[in-house]
Amino acid sequence: MVPSQYYLVLSAAVFCIGLFGILTRRNALVFLMSVELMLNAANINLVAFSVQNGNLTGQVFSLFTIATAAAEVAVGIGIILVLYRNFNDVDVTTATTMRW
Amino acid sequence: MTTRPRLKLGSHLLPGLAAVALFVVMAAAFLSAQFPAPQGFGSGSITASIGYAIFDLSGPITSEYFLVAFEIMGVLLVAALVGAVMLAREEGGLGPLSGSGSRDVRADGAIETETESDH
Amino acid sequence: MVGAFEFAPAIAALPFVSFLVALFVGRFMPKKGALAGITATGGSLLLSLWVYLAVLTSGDPHVEIVHTLIGVTDPFSLELGILIDQLSALMLLIVSLISFLVFVFSLGYMNDEGETGLPRYYAGLSLFSFSMLAFVMASNLFMAFMFFELVGLCSYLLIGFWFRADAPPSAAKKAFLVTRFGDYFFLIGVVGVLGTFGTAAFAGDGSFPVLAEQALAGEAAGINTFGFDPQTWFTILGLLVLGGVMGKSAQFPLHTWLPDAMEGPTPVSALIHAATMVAAGVYLVARMYGFYALSPTALAIIAFVGGFTALFAATMGVVKREIKQVLAYSTISQYGYMMLALGVGGYVAGVFHLTTHAMFKALLFLGAGAVIVAMHHNEDMWKMGGLKERLPVTYYTFLAGSLALAGIIPFAGFWSKDEVLFEALLRGMDNPIFLVAYAMGLIGVFFTGLYTFRMVFLTFHGEPRTTIAEDPHHFGWNMKFPMVVLGVLATVVGLINMTPVAELTGAHIEFLHIWFEHGGETLTVEHYGALLEQWAGYGAVDASTALVLGSGAVSLLLALAGAGAAHVLYNVPDPDEHTDKLGSIKTVLFNNYYQDEYQVWLAEGLTANVARGADTFDQGIIDGAVNGVSSVSLFLGDRARRLQTGVVTNYAALLTLGLVVLLVAVGILGGWFV
Repeated sequence: MVPSQYYLVLSAAVFCIGLFGILTRRNALVFLMSVELMLNAANINLVAFSVQNGNLTGQVFSLFTIATAAAEVAVGIGIILVLYRNFNDVDVTTATTMRW
Repeated sequence: MTTRPRLKLGSHLLPGLAAVALFVVMAAAFLSAQFPAPQGFGSGSITASIGYAIFDLSGPITSEYFLVAFEIMGVLLVAALVGAVMLAREEGGLGPLSGSGSRDVRADGAIETETESDH
Repeated sequence: MVGAFEFAPAIAALPFVSFLVALFVGRFMPKKGALAGITATGGSLLLSLWVYLAVLTSGDPHVEIVHTLIGVTDPFSLELGILIDQLSALMLLIVSLISFLVFVFSLGYMNDEGETGLPRYYAGLSLFSFSMLAFVMASNLFMAFMFFELVGLCSYLLIGFWFRADAPPSAAKKAFLVTRFGDYFFLIGVVGVLGTFGTAAFAGDGSFPVLAEQALAGEAAGINTFGFDPQTWFTILGLLVLGGVMGKSAQFPLHTWLPDAMEGPTPVSALIHAATMVAAGVYLVARMYGFYALSPTALAIIAFVGGFTALFAATMGVVKREIKQVLAYSTISQYGYMMLALGVGGYVAGVFHLTTHAMFKALLFLGAGAVIVAMHHNEDMWKMGGLKERLPVTYYTFLAGSLALAGIIPFAGFWSKDEVLFEALLRGMDNPIFLVAYAMGLIGVFFTGLYTFRMVFLTFHGEPRTTIAEDPHHFGWNMKFPMVVLGVLATVVGLINMTPVAELTGAHIEFLHIWFEHGGETLTVEHYGALLEQWAGYGAVDASTALVLGSGAVSLLLALAGAGAAHVLYNVPDPDEHTDKLGSIKTVLFNNYYQDEYQVWLAEGLTANVARGADTFDQGIIDGAVNGVSSVSLFLGDRARRLQTGVVTNYAALLTLGLVVLLVAVGILGGWFV
């Protein structure tokens, strides 16, 4: 079997790629995609430890996470729509009117 | 769109260094960690067992049961869908048929029609 | 006769009910609340009489805790209670009687004169009676303080009744502030007593006078005297409480409010002077006499201040033009006599004079009120004259009151004042301070006779000096009835304690002495006598019959001399203002020895500057510090908010960096990287 460390490093890599996207891009849709990457990094971890411990719970949990991610995307798209309507742009750096 | 995608380099990539740093730290931590050999699931279909676990039935691989979580997830999805519709709708408008001419509204209407068709 | 005590709270509660009635529905009632007040105080009078009889038959004091305000027993609990013993039963009777008569008199003085705002007037009067009755019944010093303050508040409301004129509101403020100045010391005294003894009860085994005595005898433990010698500390406490007494009872130097208080309606003046506010101070000293008896210093101060005030106020009364001003100064003077009596150990004499004074001073004020009504609210005695034939009822009752005030045998004032002076003389034989106080009191008797009969002669004798005096306004039974009742009482009330006669005939007719010999173990006059002898060094003095009679004769002669002087100077058809012959003394007397000016100077020159300094300190340093803290916070906050750029990427970057730092730190500490 593959040792768990490899899964963890893979997960960390996926997570950091998602994070990199969030830190360097300004398009809200790209943001949503990056967040998906980060969520899936978490799923990898869940499944990896499920195998590690011989317990099915992690697998089921990752399913639920995927479903939650779907809900998140639905709401996220709605927010992006409102963002676009209000600022005529999907650039997240333009929406700074509510800071202080 | 005749231009192909280009890699855009510049100072806006600077915050990304934080993500790289995070990866380095996590990788260092994980690689130095010691795990025992994974236990695995032995024989039996994992997928079938997941199905059984979700519906509170006992399958080939024993597991906890998740029926309540499953139902709550269903509610969550419906709520998210309704929330998305609420957000996407034009404020005070009746949807795509209200037809008050601007480009934004048409774009919204298109999305909204699509969402409603998902029902 | 247990029943009477169960109704005791109602004595105070009835006027309170009438206060509410007069305040809220008084304007719809036929007499604007007067009838409610008369009913309530009449009920109080009957109940007081019943309680008095109950005390007479049972002899034991009645102590009862009605309501516990703060029920913590450690360090002390605060309670509302009732203490009915010989002293408070007598005082309840006096207060409710005077209140009742004042209410009746007000029908004539206020209603018939068509005053406005009557519900407010009757509400104030009822509240006044309620406060004083509750004060008299108070079972502990704390409760006494509460109602003492309420009495002060009511006097403020009533003195300032005609608030649209200029003088009454100012007089009301002055009365409130001056008495409040004294009450401030009283408050510290109450706190001190509670802190020292853990109780403020007047009577019972655990009461503070008893504990104080035990502490002096070295028997009581747990008495915190704050590092002082017990006797010194008890003297300090006694003097602090005395501050409140001197404010309320208008003793020098806190007497200045009382003459100004004449701006209130005359029935109110009668109530204030005879039964409620001013009497409260002296009553308080009598109430905690077991405590004062332990401190010879406090007693000496009481006696000396009393004697000085008696003379001081009497001299000012001689030159006043307004009838009520003369009475005001006579009140100050008479309360000086009571303080003198209490200071020299004459507990019974002091209370006796309080009783007789309540009768004749209420009478004199009501008589003055009647004269003022008759004169269409002109108070200047030089505008009167010759009212004797035109107002016979007023004249004869007023004369009875004047004879009592001047101390002419056999009217009430003679017996009580004689006993006061006799006690002072007895004590003065040992101690020169008391001798000086006695001498001042004795000279005061002459001036009392002088100003009293100057007032009588100017008002009622001679020829009318104005057209109003020739045809005075007439008034009804409701003003004559209280005067007649009080006139009879002022004549005969002295008979309850005829010490010289008892001395001469050997008959036991000193009823007041006998009255105070009964009652609770720690509240009797014998107990006070024993305390005085043990702690204050007031040994028993053999009073020969000759001394008793001589003392009485001297004071009588002086009073007659004063009255005679007034007769010579003013009982002529057309009297002159002899005050001009006094020269510069007259100016000093007219200006009340510049006491007001001196106190105003004290307030403006000294207190205002101190207050200004405190204000500067407050504004500059305290507020400055607070404002400084807030401006620094504002400045830092303004800088710190720049962190919130509103750009999601920045937040995410900060979060990531934070997570990296955290992971590195935890990893190094946890040894992840080995």
